[in-house]
Amino acid sequence: MSDLQSTRSPTTAELTIATPEGVLFRLPLAGVAPRLYAMLFDAAIVLGTVNGLGWLIYAIFAKAPGFGAMFITLAEFAIGFAYGALMEGYWNGQTIGKRLFHLRVIDQTGLPLRMEQAWVRNLMRVFDALPLAYLVGGVSVLCSPLRQRFGDRVAGTVVVRETPLPGPGEESWTRQKYNSFMNYPAVAMRLRRAATPELASLIQDALRRRNELAPYARREIYRELAAYLQSEVASFPDELVEMLSDEQYLINAVGALFGDQRLSKL
Amino acid sequence: MILDLERFRAQARPRWSKLEALLSALESRPDRRLQPAEAEQLQELYAQTAADLNRVTHGALAPELRQYIERLVARAYAELYYSPPTRSKIWQPRRGLRILTEFPEAFRRQYRHFALALLITVLGSALGGFAVRYDPASVDVLLPADYLRNPGQRVDQESKGQNRHLDSAQIEAAFSAQLITHNIQVALLAAALGATFGIGTALLLFENGVLLGAVAVRYTQQGFGLFVTAWLLPHGAFEIPSILIAGQAGFYLARLLLRRPEDRDMRRAMHEWLLLVGGLALMLVWAGLMEAFFSQHHAPVLPYGLKVAVGAGELVLLTTYLLLIGRRGTIAEDHANAPLESK
Repeated sequence: MSDLQSTRSPTTAELTIATPEGVLFRLPLAGVAPRLYAMLFDAAIVLGTVNGLGWLIYAIFAKAPGFGAMFITLAEFAIGFAYGALMEGYWNGQTIGKRLFHLRVIDQTGLPLRMEQAWVRNLMRVFDALPLAYLVGGVSVLCSPLRQRFGDRVAGTVVVRETPLPGPGEESWTRQKYNSFMNYPAVAMRLRRAATPELASLIQDALRRRNELAPYARREIYRELAAYLQSEVASFPDELVEMLSDEQYLINAVGALFGDQRLSKL
Repeated sequence: MILDLERFRAQARPRWSKLEALLSALESRPDRRLQPAEAEQLQELYAQTAADLNRVTHGALAPELRQYIERLVARAYAELYYSPPTRSKIWQPRRGLRILTEFPEAFRRQYRHFALALLITVLGSALGGFAVRYDPASVDVLLPADYLRNPGQRVDQESKGQNRHLDSAQIEAAFSAQLITHNIQVALLAAALGATFGIGTALLLFENGVLLGAVAVRYTQQGFGLFVTAWLLPHGAFEIPSILIAGQAGFYLARLLLRRPEDRDMRRAMHEWLLLVGGLALMLVWAGLMEAFFSQHHAPVLPYGLKVAVGAGELVLLTTYLLLIGRRGTIAEDHANAPLESK
């Protein structure tokens, strides 16, 4: 468990749910910035709607602008509160802004949001918005382990991140058609038996993060890993190793460790 | 043991795809009820995917795959354990009208919180009144607005028609909307400040009470008692009780938050809080209309006696509504059947 936690950034807050069947799963919680962007986007939608409505109402009440102003003031007020509550209540915890920024409001037990929760958390904005620019709400989010503003605390809700994930397809670096290590099945088998799960996962993770590493760091890490495997775990013939880059060496090694079915048949 | 990720993916992908398709179908129609066979299939796929999550958690470092399976498990869990309202429950036009009977019931259930709000407001009023009566220097502090400090000037303006809008119903309409939205915002704030364990609610009610007491005493001192009663009562008959109900909602929330989480029935509590807030918002709509269209007109256009009588009539009707409408039963019975939080 500690190994798993160490693979995540320590600044990422998560909601951990334990189901009645004993299944544990985690949902990443949204921070202040994406929530702020989503809120600004929603505010722009509300303002746009109110202004559009305002033009329409002024056109209808052209001879009675006072009544037009009354309708606009009331509509602006009602839309300001109802937009968030109704969108979240009927659209499974999302407004247009939240959808755009991949956020969703859910019950803190991991279940979908209920309508009364949507209303409570949105009405509580009058407090979270104090004294200006959502300072109370923002500080509350930063101080809360579940990243909740006061409205969320009262309604028992959290805002989770739902960034798009790739499907469970194969990773590109495991799809190579030819793996030269397979020409030496005995050595490959030795590699597979001698490598610990931690070492295998380390190599896999290093390859997965190839685009996140700086070129120099990537070259050094791959060189050290390849050298360690070659000298301490399983030595492939020098004439083969000399033809391979360190990265290709590791790709072949991972293919032998995880992906290639031919070794399983040996 | 190292998990053979590719083989694992190949074996599990069909059930993940099947679960994803089933979840997408269910999520696109939230009111749809599962058929027994579908429920069984969902349960089975959920159990299998949860087991997959366990394998990938302990057998490999594959963050993206783990997140993918985690999200599938989370979605399946939500579908299995959440009972969404049916379409017939969502689209019930009459349901909205039920607030008219449920609101006074909620008011009576939480009468102790209302009593606390009333007590704090009365204390504030007493302080404001005593301060103005016995310490003239406090007038400038408590009544910063000129029209509040100098009632004579205000009454003179009113009698000359300088503030009269009888010729302009449109200005009154726009004014009423401003009053409604402003008052609802203040009331909402009083109800939401319950999140400060009631301290903010109490301060807001007290401040409101001080201002009310100071104005009443200042006007009465200078011989304009009838004017101020006729001025404030027609809309105040709804506005002041609605602020007290906002305080009631705030103290109810504070009481709830002071309880241990396991002792809270949050669903019922939120319903109760929303009933109080919804009810007071309706009251403030009426108060805003009265203030703009009725209260601002003075004698000789509207005799003070008539205005006071209208205000008193409103107060009687409101009291009757709050105490008698809705489920029959004594306050003691209501209290006995109240949600856990009110006990």
